[in-house]
Amino acid sequence: MDCEGAMSVFTAASGNHCVQGVPFINDILQYDSLSIVGLEKNTGKTECLKYVLDRLPVDTKRIAVTSIGIDGETVDQVTRTQKPEIVLREGMYFGTSEAHYRQRRLVSELIDVSDESTSLGRVVTAKALTGGKILLSGPSSASSLRRWMGEMQQRFDIDLVVIDGALSRMSSASPAVSQSMILATGAAYSANISTLVSKTAHVVDLVNLDLTSESNLKSLMPLDKGLWFIDKSDELHALDAITSLSKDIHFEGMDGCKTLYVAGALVDGFLEKVRKNKDLKHVELVVRDFTKIFVTPQQFRLFIKAGGRISVLQKSKLIAVTVNPTSPSGYVLDSDTLCAKLSEAIGLPVYDLLKNNECN
Amino acid sequence: MLDKLELQSGFTRRWLLDSPMMVRDEEIAASYDVLHRFDTFVGQVDKTHLDTVLFKLQGLKDIRTTIKNLHNQAVLDDIELFEVKHLAILATDVNKLLMQHDMDGVVEIPTLDEVISILDPDGMKIATFYIYDSYCAQLKDLRVQMRQHPEQQDDLLLQASELEESVRKDLSNQLHPFAAAIEQAQLALARIDVNLAKVMQMRQMGLSFPVLSSDGVTRYEAMFHPQVKEALAQHGRDFQPVDITFGEQPTLITGANMGGKTVVLKSLTLCQLLFQFGFGIPAASAQIAVKDEIYFCIGDEQSVEKGLSSFAAEMKNIDAVIKASRENKIIMALIDEPARTTNPTEGAALVSALLLVLADKGMSLVMTTHYDIEPGRARCLRVKGFENGSMDYRLVEVQDGEVPHEALNIAQSLGIDSEWINTARNLLETCPQ
Repeated sequence: MDCEGAMSVFTAASGNHCVQGVPFINDILQYDSLSIVGLEKNTGKTECLKYVLDRLPVDTKRIAVTSIGIDGETVDQVTRTQKPEIVLREGMYFGTSEAHYRQRRLVSELIDVSDESTSLGRVVTAKALTGGKILLSGPSSASSLRRWMGEMQQRFDIDLVVIDGALSRMSSASPAVSQSMILATGAAYSANISTLVSKTAHVVDLVNLDLTSESNLKSLMPLDKGLWFIDKSDELHALDAITSLSKDIHFEGMDGCKTLYVAGALVDGFLEKVRKNKDLKHVELVVRDFTKIFVTPQQFRLFIKAGGRISVLQKSKLIAVTVNPTSPSGYVLDSDTLCAKLSEAIGLPVYDLLKNNECN
Repeated sequence: MLDKLELQSGFTRRWLLDSPMMVRDEEIAASYDVLHRFDTFVGQVDKTHLDTVLFKLQGLKDIRTTIKNLHNQAVLDDIELFEVKHLAILATDVNKLLMQHDMDGVVEIPTLDEVISILDPDGMKIATFYIYDSYCAQLKDLRVQMRQHPEQQDDLLLQASELEESVRKDLSNQLHPFAAAIEQAQLALARIDVNLAKVMQMRQMGLSFPVLSSDGVTRYEAMFHPQVKEALAQHGRDFQPVDITFGEQPTLITGANMGGKTVVLKSLTLCQLLFQFGFGIPAASAQIAVKDEIYFCIGDEQSVEKGLSSFAAEMKNIDAVIKASRENKIIMALIDEPARTTNPTEGAALVSALLLVLADKGMSLVMTTHYDIEPGRARCLRVKGFENGSMDYRLVEVQDGEVPHEALNIAQSLGIDSEWINTARNLLETCPQ
């Protein structure tokens, strides 16, 4: 969807008829998984999840919902504010922890209890037999999340897995395992429109990084730690340094290096070193997914400008960005201006869902 | 070996790790009879059938806490009731799959049809669970209202939760008499998992079924150490298998350095343990005597700082063997180069004395040494040794315990400094003792 299209959708959505043909619901149904990622607390991720769950066609599609890690606690661990429960509709499947399952406020049928334990007990999977509220907390590691998704698709014929995807340091599970993604941003991320726009645009740039080549995927996917490079004859070598955080990384003996892979976090210092190294000028820098990139927008831009390339092993298609113009401290940005500016900057549709809901 | 066992369920692994070693002949024989039946089963069925069984076993969960609650007449919650139902259906399914191939009764799986019907009031035969509408008419009404009046949901859920709790209580009471059968079914599935994994491991690693020895003598033909064999294979080299027989008297193994003496001891220990846990044995053929206790003493901490303490630890270990030998138990002890970290005069005396002390205790003692000692009543085996530039690892019976003097030759073949080796040679010639 181009920028202008996005704008007209937005205008339509903020007009009088907004529920019918909600645009990104149809986009979501093109994929078998969706994660909804909040860039900060109170950026409206839960609102967005509610909005999506309310509108998915449960009669024709089998839908399963889970959350990454412990993001479903009743009381927010950081701000001590009450956390919202998710409203599920009849027929939806969900994965949550034992503890939260016992607190459910709906009638549901248990279909699986996993062996894997989280801090809130094992992950249980059930099907909602009536609508109602549930606290979500799901698999806490990347591999268990992927396994859960696989089981849902294979054993229970689930058409779409929706992940409440916190960008949390508490959890090693990454929302990037899903095929598609919605980002929730808002005044809580920055109270200044232009800062908010540029910070969000940076994340969007990272989410949109290209997927690396098939052959790279094959050789790099199993490597979950360390620094590696692939030379011209497609041979894989390990670098001495263990992480890109190491101070004394030497790029020696890397003749003919074609691809440089950072399995862990990518940070400013490392990116700068790669940029300043003449031998690595045309190297393709690969990271696992966008959540592993911890570089400032400035360094990132400098690297790209200098002709650098960064690609990822797993990538989600970014479907839309939602905004919550209200910050927790009560400051409210102008919704229309924010949506318009952000949409222009990222070339994607931007929605203020609360405003949309208000016009029902 | 346990790590290489491809078990389907985490519960099976925990159960196996908790299992005690078998020490009775009949128990071990029965365990290998069962393993034989599974071997035939794996040989007969097509791969899809086997895969189905293995896939089913992946669903085996550890529900011991739930079973304990059931024993204690606690009220089970939905998750626990689900676990019971899941297990009951799983056990029934696996039993059916095995019965199709003449395996009924090989591992006794109790019938849990009644358990299933208690937890499956609608006869759906699928392993899902909730407090079904058909348990309680009133509950059904409340749920109908919930769907019609979502705005009253919280209130209705509260009313329903009381009814649900009384259904759970009722179900738990009904299930209580089956607690033992459910527990037995869980263990039966774990045993099936273990047996299938053992059979597959035997086929992969070329292990064999052992025979129980009736005369107290253990005999191995072409025994190998799986880990060493695999490591050698990675370097494109073959493991040279070893034949060895020993009874209830001490056996002394001598031989050059790098002659594989320690590997023999390790293999013997491994084989004995595998045997008493009912695994396939890494040998072409094996006839093994059952032991009550197995001791393996390897003074392997060869660091300067630990010189004294490793000697102390070793002495304590061997002390335990001597103490145990005075009790009325059938013991096997495998001791690698005892007293190696002390001076050769006292060391040799300690080793000779150990042989004398343990000679008439009727225990299987296999010991290696570099010391020249009087074997007494011990049998002596020697590693064939360094011949024509390569090592022959086979064991030959010799009349006395005289140790081969090959250390200098071997050191030379390793390319060790010639001044050092030649000086040693000269010293030996001028002053042989």
